[in-house]
Amino acid sequence: MMSKSRSRRARQSAIRIFAQEYSESSLIERGVGEYDPSFVITKLGVKVNRCLVCGGLERMERRDGDSGPFYRGQIRDPSGTHYFDVAPFQPELHPDAEELLARFETGDAILVSIVGRQKSNESEDGGIFTSIRAESFTEIDQETYKSWMVEAADATLRRLDAYAASQGADLTEDGFRSAGVPDDLVSGLIKSREHYSEFDTEAYKVWILKAFSRALGRTEESVEVSINSESEPTEEKSVQATEGAEARDVILEILTSSGENLVEYDVLVGACISAGSSREDAEDAIESLKDVSMEITEPRFGFFSIST
Amino acid sequence: MTYANQIAVVKQECPDADEGEIGKEFSRYEKDFLIPPEDALRSVIKKFQAATGVEISTNSSTPVHEEKKVERFSDLGADDRNVTIEVAVISYTPRTQMVRGEEKQIAFGWIEDNPWETSSERVRWDYKDWGNKGETMIPGSVVRLEGASVNEWNDKRSINVNRTTRVTVLKEGGGSAPPSGNEPLSIARASEIEGFVSVVGRVLSAKPDVLVRKDGSGEIPIVRGKISDSSGSIGFLSWKEFEHEEGALVKIVGASVRKFRETPEIQINDGTVIETYHDTAFPGVSELVESEKVSIADLRNGMRDVSITLQVESWAQRTFEAQDGSSRVVRSGDVMDPTGRCRLTAWCEFDPKSGDAIRIEGGRVQFWQGSPDLVIDNIDQVSSLSDSPWEKIDPENHWVEVDLTSITRGGSRRGISTAGTIVAINSGSGIIERCPECRRMLQDGSCSEHGSQIGEEDLRLRFVLDNGVSNANLFLGKEPAEEFLGKSMEEIKSEISSIGREVFVTNLRSRVLARKMAVHGRCAVDGQGAMLFADRVELVEPKPAEEAEEVMQRWEVVL
Repeated sequence: MMSKSRSRRARQSAIRIFAQEYSESSLIERGVGEYDPSFVITKLGVKVNRCLVCGGLERMERRDGDSGPFYRGQIRDPSGTHYFDVAPFQPELHPDAEELLARFETGDAILVSIVGRQKSNESEDGGIFTSIRAESFTEIDQETYKSWMVEAADATLRRLDAYAASQGADLTEDGFRSAGVPDDLVSGLIKSREHYSEFDTEAYKVWILKAFSRALGRTEESVEVSINSESEPTEEKSVQATEGAEARDVILEILTSSGENLVEYDVLVGACISAGSSREDAEDAIESLKDVSMEITEPRFGFFSIST
Repeated sequence: MTYANQIAVVKQECPDADEGEIGKEFSRYEKDFLIPPEDALRSVIKKFQAATGVEISTNSSTPVHEEKKVERFSDLGADDRNVTIEVAVISYTPRTQMVRGEEKQIAFGWIEDNPWETSSERVRWDYKDWGNKGETMIPGSVVRLEGASVNEWNDKRSINVNRTTRVTVLKEGGGSAPPSGNEPLSIARASEIEGFVSVVGRVLSAKPDVLVRKDGSGEIPIVRGKISDSSGSIGFLSWKEFEHEEGALVKIVGASVRKFRETPEIQINDGTVIETYHDTAFPGVSELVESEKVSIADLRNGMRDVSITLQVESWAQRTFEAQDGSSRVVRSGDVMDPTGRCRLTAWCEFDPKSGDAIRIEGGRVQFWQGSPDLVIDNIDQVSSLSDSPWEKIDPENHWVEVDLTSITRGGSRRGISTAGTIVAINSGSGIIERCPECRRMLQDGSCSEHGSQIGEEDLRLRFVLDNGVSNANLFLGKEPAEEFLGKSMEEIKSEISSIGREVFVTNLRSRVLARKMAVHGRCAVDGQGAMLFADRVELVEPKPAEEAEEVMQRWEVVL
């Protein structure tokens, strides 16, 4: 009990996280007590209440809502896009947001760093959309950005390591601890293992490698060669194909090659996302392949195979 | 032309876009955002779709429902989603249901609105719980539902509690939390909690003692001692007879862990069962005593029976008048070991020279200005060592590197250096006014203790330092703040009065947010977290290539 009341008052640390890991999350833990923090729990088991993220400012706009003006934007990192907003009830941040907006509208390329809190919305059909409510943000230089990429890669590798260690361990706090999962990841990892199905961690390694090669100032060619070969076919396709077809092709390719084995919904979506589709496109493609063209079937709820 | 392939794809999607502009955009992504053209493709297409008026699909196409806050069920419509309402939980019945061919754990029951009034004033509805809220929706409790939705079927309305619904307990229900199991914990683990525990440990000491009743009605016999396992040791206090001798291995079931100051202690009372335990593999006394040795980093407020080796840095004595009018002498000074420095106070005739190596047995720890103060009451507790057990420490340059996570998990310490990333700049940073009586910060010219005061100006910066796992509040007083900003307090004062505090803080933020900072100083740790009081800080220049090499080596990543 004591540790609980203590953690209530303690400040939550800022998780270093790439956009892809954050946006793939669909597990939300709401605080039970009045002031308990809420968390987005990622597939790798980190509980995100507060995060520190960086990236290139891709969009920034002011909007008017019922409770006043607010700002919405997105930043791009090697893995994908973080969505953030500056809430109407944080007027103290509005002058800085206004200035960032003005800078963005000049067309300058701006790298920003954002410290923010987790935010999530659920759509009608149960889809979870994660975003960030900014607490503070500032423009940063490229060296600081590279340094953040290394830190985020380090943190992601630590989580991958814990995830690997948790495989085969008892699904209990003690089981995970003795398997070598660090204390701060134990409870989140248990919940994530219960919620998410098995997934391929290779996609994570792809953008971690990209982050390292950028931080080291390597040229693009050397990266292309070193990234594992299986991501290349999809990369090539993404250059020629249009949006919808992209995800379709990825899905059909996976299901064809897996033969009679069933493939999980999240795996398909994850594969499409790492091939460059949005989550929405991936979901639409699965829907249409199943219900319209009937090229794939869902023999078990949430598991797919190619139609025979 | 570079990016020719990518430009062709963009042109296909946005025929009106200018090729030169598209090329510029790819170059911007590559040079400034470090995103290669194939990864930037989607972003660039979206940008030109927006710019040339092609319709774009937004990321979250489904509308997000505005929150609807109501007090009564009668205020709800059949289609309301994202409802916030406070209700009393009347019943909760779990059930397994097949949903689309999958077994799902759901629950149903009754809830009543207007929960703070008598039940004649309430309306009862059915609800279904789709989100496993059994832990919070305990019958008898009052909860706030946020993000619930209304379900209408056969003209009957009910509430759906969804997976994403937030359930906040406003009043606890009838059932109490189940007592913890009798499974013994390691002593290190037991020391971290407060409440009932069971442990297995070897008795390192057990001495009879007495507590004198405050009202003078007599004495209570007790036994004080220490038990230990390979994870650590903990003091115990027994209110009943304790028949096990030093060296005995015992299992203690149903004792409670309490904290005396910051030091946990096992309390043994009538309900506690102590039995002899057999485990031939359990470490012996000598092994446990060996691992018992503490260093300055381990000291916690309230510790007793401390044995430690130290190097004296400085020593002084002071005479003062005791309450009974007699004059007394207290001696104190700074001491060091390889893990840091602290204060030592002697209530006996002990006069070491600086540089002396000493050994203390049975000392106790209290706190002095938020840092541990080691106390000896008797000259028998201290002995001089002819040889220092470590290479002589230079007090001028004795900063012990401690990572931020160890700081937050450890005790209050002096003489440490650490590092982390700045994730927050407190808006109260800058010139503040302090109460001339107590040095507290004045709020609108008023002290919480001494009322309205003419304040004394002072300079203070407050940051939050964070390493991704742990964080600490960081305070810079006048001198370190002046040194860090490279300006005198007077210069900073006139700067703030000309640009305003908000701009001053914004400038500070753009200088330090997301930057790494190295801190030398002392830390104070309590239940609410860690505070760092800096003697000196500096921003660490990012060296991404070196950092990348180091991290890649750590995780054995090869590019």
